[in-house]
Amino acid sequence: MTTTDRQDQRPHEYSFFAALLSYLVPGMGQIYQGRIGKGLLFFFSLYGMFFYGWWLGDKSNVYLPHGDSIVVLGKRIDEPWASIGHRPQFAGQFWMGVCVWPAIVQYRFPEKAGFLRGYQRAPSEEELNRLQKNGDKLWDLAWVYTVVAGVLNILVIYDAFAGPVFQLEPQKPEWAPV
Amino acid sequence: MSIYWHLPIMIIIISLVYSATRYDQWGMILREAFRWGLRMVSFLVMIAVVLVVLSFFI
Repeated sequence: MTTTDRQDQRPHEYSFFAALLSYLVPGMGQIYQGRIGKGLLFFFSLYGMFFYGWWLGDKSNVYLPHGDSIVVLGKRIDEPWASIGHRPQFAGQFWMGVCVWPAIVQYRFPEKAGFLRGYQRAPSEEELNRLQKNGDKLWDLAWVYTVVAGVLNILVIYDAFAGPVFQLEPQKPEWAPV
Repeated sequence: MSIYWHLPIMIIIISLVYSATRYDQWGMILREAFRWGLRMVSFLVMIAVVLVVLSFFI
């Protein structure tokens, strides 16, 4: 049994800080805990998938739009929560952490978001129509990548918080003093 | 290019990341990822076969 195997058998302690790190940047909580290989796997896989989807979607499928109030189960919901109703994909993308915060800045402080140069700004109605009408459904497939990446990061956050779902039982030594 | 060419990337990443949240040991992660990849591909092939068969009759 190698040293790494023995380390793997230690029960994980709950860590809110590692979970927060993994929310901010996928895999960072695992790297902080010393599970570097897994952390790098999460980092490259999820960022790769998210930005691949963002790129496929003409770099305009991660945003939070302004919109009218919506009614859910007879209850009126105003902004900012109504915006999630207008763009439910963002509820999944949100879990990618800091890389989607520009969308929140664009939504909340549009007048101060000049430094983002349009990054993750809500596209205009005409732009959305162009993207959806002139493509080969790729734009619609692309946001699925970004949402799946975000949803997978929820599992990664939980892994950082409480460890993997299946943990090995610590092995008892074959010989123990009486 | 067909949009379906983008599918393998999604299958590989979902399998790997999901399996890595189940286990800490690389052997177990890779084995579980392979199993999940196979399950997803089988499911998609099954759906495709059903659709192809239906397209003959409808």
